[in-house]
Amino acid sequence: MLRDKIEKHLLEVQKPSRYIGGEVGSINKDKSEVDVRFAFCFPDTYDIGMSHLGMKILYSLINERKNYWCERCFAPGIDFEEIMRKNKIPLYALESLDPIKNFDFIGFTMQYELSYTNVLNMLDLAGIPIFAKDRTDKLEQIVVAGGPCVCNPEPIADFFDLFILGEGEEVNLELMDLYYEMKKQGAGRLDFLRRASQIEGIYVPQFYKFSYKADNTIEKLEVSDNAPKTVRKRVIRDFDKVYYPENFVVPFTEIVHDRVSVEVLRGCIRGCRFCQAGFIYRPFREKSPETICSETKCLCENTGYDEVSLASLSTSDHSEIDSMLTQLIDYTAGERVNLSLPSLRVDNFSESLLEKIKKVRKSGLTFAAEGGTQRLRDVINKNVSEEEIMNTCKVAFEGGYSSVKLYFMMGLPTETDEDIIGIAELAQRIIDLFYSIENRPKGRQVQISVSCATFVPKPFTPFQFEPQDTPEEIERKQKLLLDSVKTKKIRVSYHDSNVSLLEAVLAKGDRRLCNVIYTAWKKGCKFDSWSEYYKFDKWLEAFEECGINPSFYANRRFEYDEILPWDHLDYLVTKEFFIRENKTAHKSVTTPNCRLRCSGCGVNKAVGRECFC
Amino acid sequence: MFLLRLRAIFEKTGRARYISHLDLNRCMLRVFRRSKLPVWYTEGFNPHPYYSFALALSLGFESRCEIMDFNIINDNITYDEIKNKLNAVMPEGMRVVSVAEQIKKITAITKAEYSFSLVSEDAEKLHDSVQELVNCPEILIDKKTKKGIKTVDIKPDMEVVSCEISDGSVNMIMRLPAGTQTNYNPTLFIEALKKVSVIPFEAQKICRMGILCENNEKFF
Repeated sequence: MLRDKIEKHLLEVQKPSRYIGGEVGSINKDKSEVDVRFAFCFPDTYDIGMSHLGMKILYSLINERKNYWCERCFAPGIDFEEIMRKNKIPLYALESLDPIKNFDFIGFTMQYELSYTNVLNMLDLAGIPIFAKDRTDKLEQIVVAGGPCVCNPEPIADFFDLFILGEGEEVNLELMDLYYEMKKQGAGRLDFLRRASQIEGIYVPQFYKFSYKADNTIEKLEVSDNAPKTVRKRVIRDFDKVYYPENFVVPFTEIVHDRVSVEVLRGCIRGCRFCQAGFIYRPFREKSPETICSETKCLCENTGYDEVSLASLSTSDHSEIDSMLTQLIDYTAGERVNLSLPSLRVDNFSESLLEKIKKVRKSGLTFAAEGGTQRLRDVINKNVSEEEIMNTCKVAFEGGYSSVKLYFMMGLPTETDEDIIGIAELAQRIIDLFYSIENRPKGRQVQISVSCATFVPKPFTPFQFEPQDTPEEIERKQKLLLDSVKTKKIRVSYHDSNVSLLEAVLAKGDRRLCNVIYTAWKKGCKFDSWSEYYKFDKWLEAFEECGINPSFYANRRFEYDEILPWDHLDYLVTKEFFIRENKTAHKSVTTPNCRLRCSGCGVNKAVGRECFC
Repeated sequence: MFLLRLRAIFEKTGRARYISHLDLNRCMLRVFRRSKLPVWYTEGFNPHPYYSFALALSLGFESRCEIMDFNIINDNITYDEIKNKLNAVMPEGMRVVSVAEQIKKITAITKAEYSFSLVSEDAEKLHDSVQELVNCPEILIDKKTKKGIKTVDIKPDMEVVSCEISDGSVNMIMRLPAGTQTNYNPTLFIEALKKVSVIPFEAQKICRMGILCENNEKFF
């Protein structure tokens, strides 16, 4: 039995409870009563994957169906992978401990580009052919993916049978129902894929063929098998009533986000021009304070967690935030539950809001300023003024905080050295502010952490056309920032520029990158997002061997009239809007948020909803 | 406020034996919260339910007799009700066997009894090696302590209750010091056996079977 084989080696690895399941809230079913089995795979370790909210939602959603069984599967750590390969233990699901190779669906959630090689590694560990074309023509082992990265799935298109665009709550069961029906009829894989491609939100890449011009840009796209010319993402209409789990799997070992998390809203009204999440999750939809409260209560009671976090892109944009927090704090304080509120915006961080947060727990304050100067913040449409940043910090310092974390991006479009020096100057002005406050926390030093990411242009943003700075230029700017900081009260951290380069290539790449990813994985690349495992030299070799120039994708401006690798996918925000916003950005002009004025992105028109104004 | 000072005896078997001692703490906190029992919370800066485990259990060991002390605010609730409420929310492999008043002090614990199987190609030969080791005048072990590695003789404190061959493996029951003074883990014996055994073997199904006081009196 596979279980015996696993247990025989479990004590040789770190944190063995990650590999054996049996957690409270995990769902076991009688195999003889199950018709369709789904392996929900997260292409990173248990500690990270178990923190992912989407998996919790879709896991419970599928398991609500008596005859469908969804199980979890994660990338094993390096130590356990070695043992698995040596002892021929195939990748298995945590509930049944059965090999996932025999499942009907093997579904990956693609959260970040740097997890692509892990997908290949997991398929290989499972004993599933890595390329879709090498799988059998039987209706079995359908390898699918969803999540934000599939808005440009071309770099991984050859490895998947189909992609699920948009919100899984809407489409996953529909897809599984079709599979179940066709399985009963004895249909084959190709028949199933043809029918699946007719479902809104399902993209079957093998029916789409690209040809390229001499300059390597896309010449045209040919669609076969009656598949739709453009595939439109799926959207939940009534977000307040959408399915939300009543229970989470509660891990034994500590995971990254070890708490209840309740989604308060989806989408974003802000329109920061670099932010992919801000566009692909549109339209903006909220849950009512009552729904949020009852979901919180239910999950806390069922899991036994004593901490809850509100999940959204920008919690303070909830139209009824005050009522929501009042009701929530009523419950959490009485039950000794900690409430944490990530994703608060600088500009509406009011004193009364801070008072409310202080009541529950004192955690760190983090602000995403993104740009060092007002001009640059206008370019990226981060509608935050220095005055607002200063006011918020003032409120925070007076409220007893003495450390602030600031997020910035480097390499943004139109950026000059002045903008980089501006980051250091802004941090210095916050320090000066701290010492100018009479009732500042006494006896403590002010500490500003400046965390500087490298700008990665992403599909479905106004900056999708933009080139990324070369690694050399980024490194020069990083050094400039370090030289501009004159005090130890400011701590600077930044990303490896070679990692950001790969991120940009994989984000904006086309189907020709599949071979590069395959080659890099063959050379031993995996866990690329873990700095200790990142092998940039191997990636460069892979690009070289496949005759692909990474600069073509990362450091080149994509023309407005060029066919983009993701143009046939419709995330409901129009390309015209992105072009308009890109031009506006280059004039350093901002676009107000959706509540103030509709900027015509097209999403509500597409789904037939009213805009705010 | 009247506090019931209670002691639960629980099993930790199957998949639950991979829950580390640190994780068990977190796990139990959530068990109490799910159970909605009126457990007593500490009154410090960071209030949390009060509970403590008598002995740590090595990762991978099973147990029939883990001891957890906790307090309940008296609510006209019977021991059986408490047991059932806890069992309703326990993870797979963990089960409360009994709940009762705390009678003996935890410091009264002096020994624990373990059972385990030694699996090899030739049980007879392995059995001979075990006998030989057991009959040695001393069994010297390098034991890791907080102050570094220390050589100890486990022989005087070790008591073999049984050692027999069945189903092709050597099954042993052994008592070793446990509690606040000295703790010897059966793996110490197993490591010593690995050094002298003529054939390779593997220790399986290590299980803590009982907790004893002075004179081999049962702790509960």
